[in-house]
Amino acid sequence: MTAHRRQMKLGAFLWATGHHIAAWRHPKAHVTAGVDIEHYIQLARTAEAAKFDMIFCEDAAGVREADINIASQTSRSIGFEPISLLSALAAQTSRIGLVSTASTSYTEPYGLARTFLSLDHLSGGRAGWNLVTSASHIEAANFGATGLRPHADRYERAREFAAVVTALWQGKLDGVSGPGHDGRSFSVRDPLDLPRSPQGAPVMVQAGASDEGRDLAARTADVVFTAAQTFEEAKAFYDDLKGRLATYGREPNDIKIMPGVAPVVAATEAEATAKYEELQELIPDDVGVALLSSYLSISDLWRYPIDGPLPELPASEGMQSRQALVIEQSRRDNLSIRQLARHFAGARGHWRVVGTPAQIADELEARFEGGAADGFNVMPSYFPGELDAFAVLVVPELQRRGLFRTDYEGSTLRDHLGYETADVSSRL
Amino acid sequence: MASGAKMHLAVSLFPESALSPPSDAGPDFTLLARFVQKAETAGLDMVLLADSAPAAGGDAPNRQVPFEATTLLAALATITSRIGLVAAASTVAHQPYNLARRFASLDVISHGRAGWHASMVPDPREATNFSRPEGFSRDDFRRRAEEFIGIVRGLWRGWDADALLFDQRGGRFFDPEKMHLLDHKGEFFSVRGPLNVARSPQDMPVLVMSGLSEPDMEIAARFADVILLDEPSIAGAKPDDLKRHALAFGRSPGATKVLMTVAPGADMAARPDLIADRLEEPFRSKSCDGFNILMPPALSVLDDFVDLVLPELRRRGLLRSDYPGATLRSHLGLAGGDER
Repeated sequence: MTAHRRQMKLGAFLWATGHHIAAWRHPKAHVTAGVDIEHYIQLARTAEAAKFDMIFCEDAAGVREADINIASQTSRSIGFEPISLLSALAAQTSRIGLVSTASTSYTEPYGLARTFLSLDHLSGGRAGWNLVTSASHIEAANFGATGLRPHADRYERAREFAAVVTALWQGKLDGVSGPGHDGRSFSVRDPLDLPRSPQGAPVMVQAGASDEGRDLAARTADVVFTAAQTFEEAKAFYDDLKGRLATYGREPNDIKIMPGVAPVVAATEAEATAKYEELQELIPDDVGVALLSSYLSISDLWRYPIDGPLPELPASEGMQSRQALVIEQSRRDNLSIRQLARHFAGARGHWRVVGTPAQIADELEARFEGGAADGFNVMPSYFPGELDAFAVLVVPELQRRGLFRTDYEGSTLRDHLGYETADVSSRL
Repeated sequence: MASGAKMHLAVSLFPESALSPPSDAGPDFTLLARFVQKAETAGLDMVLLADSAPAAGGDAPNRQVPFEATTLLAALATITSRIGLVAAASTVAHQPYNLARRFASLDVISHGRAGWHASMVPDPREATNFSRPEGFSRDDFRRRAEEFIGIVRGLWRGWDADALLFDQRGGRFFDPEKMHLLDHKGEFFSVRGPLNVARSPQDMPVLVMSGLSEPDMEIAARFADVILLDEPSIAGAKPDDLKRHALAFGRSPGATKVLMTVAPGADMAARPDLIADRLEEPFRSKSCDGFNILMPPALSVLDDFVDLVLPELRRRGLLRSDYPGATLRSHLGLAGGDER
């Protein structure tokens, strides 16, 4: 038996027609992805054949863009609801993990715990929940809320929510033999009416990168998704989060940190660059600026000259960590609004790598071996072509270097991540 | 005999009355898949998937399946192609936006074969698990459910059927004129919309309602595509009353299908003709449009029904020969289907 080398974890982040904002306009994108379940079944099988740890689906309980003119120029206003999508994919795959985002802001822990546990049973122990709190006014308007809760309240609710969900999965919340749960935001009397998870409990994922988000992740998460442009940012986040684990009696290896990466891969560097430029050309200016505006939580960015610099911005209640990332990038590279908008439009603030399979493997290896990542959440520019390209070109290169598995080690998502069957209740 | 009205048939898996003894594990997905595939081969209109809350009064889980109904429906949709799939989902356990979205998505996944079963009977224990320990009064539950159903149906119509343009060259993914905000503000909910799922392939998911008492009849008459009534009919809802109510709301007599819920019992294999008699009589007398057959998740019971009772009904000219279209609405003869 060979020595067990540390290997990277890979997620296939499936989103609409692709992660590039103009993906849907690309002639090789599947433009009807949002209404075509067979397309998603094919993507899932591609990712599973390439031995990805998991499929990951984003989620929002509302359309993405309030401005209907902007919205109508992107493919992101319609698509599958992810729990139903992953449940369908569970029946059409056998090994790959199935992870979906779900917000704690507009759901109840009993229902969410039950739904993800059901997905876990349907998939034989392959489900994971990415906990997010909702910052969007569009979502709030679908749930009778008049405005956003201040940041701290959202996280207070999320902490209680996560504690209840985990207790339900662990069978530790029992209103008949014990007190049930009666907290500030939620009350739950009964245990779940489903058997225990085949993997102990569905995998807990988190993506919030603010201070409160990191703290919640350190308490509860098995996997953390993050956005980091540079090695230094990625490393700082990695060290900070791993450093918080001891407070909760956890080991550094108890969390897998998986930054997003938006690769554009081709056989030669010139081809990869051309492929990327082709996509960038398809971004309308008003769409790029609108996307940037939503990350910065300001509505009037279009008022500023598009070839001028980003204006000074007030602090907002929205996504604080990502906002800081955008501002830092613009100052560092001296970018105009248009340049910044285009730059971010494709990868949404995540790390983009354009190049040959070897170049992309080099970049991933450097962050993985340099202690800045345990793996990556792969965000293909358009589907299915760019997922296929990563699976066919980059994955074999990573395997050749011994950086990625050549077959699944087990059958559950916890197996893939190298975790024992879950018992996480002690730290809540 | 081929002419005349044909009865609609649904099977309900896992009725709450627990026809089969509870077991620890319950049926696995493979068994459920074979069950539903068999029902599809037999040409049944739809399978109803129950979704009970925990233990009614007991101290142990009483569910007979280890799955939540909407997730189960999604998985079953990928291994079937014709049969309708209807999941129960409670108006207490969900927010209307989330529920509308889940079912709209199920309808796209199943290519227009999904339905939502809304019960008008509140489960007294459910609210206690959804942060409403005080529960709802019967009247509040009813008004809330009515508002809830109205919102869900409104959200399902937020996108016109031809809203998506997919115009890559021109840069328009959808036509802004064909997306409609709901802007609902009511007693219990405020929902702006639109839904972030495309229009249903069958116009809207099918709405099945059950547990109707007298005050619920108007709600059902306005909204329901299918109404489930107990056998023999209770003091409350009666088929004729329901159809009359529906007419009063400007709906055509055929716009609501009334199915009578029956449990065939153990004598099915011995005397399939008696079961057929039991179904034929109320159907011929126009007491209902068909039946909702309660069945434990056992292939042997479904086999008896499909292999013994259905041929008898077919001999009597009471069953259609094949699916008339691809969507659940077309199986049920409802507007918005795609009868060929």
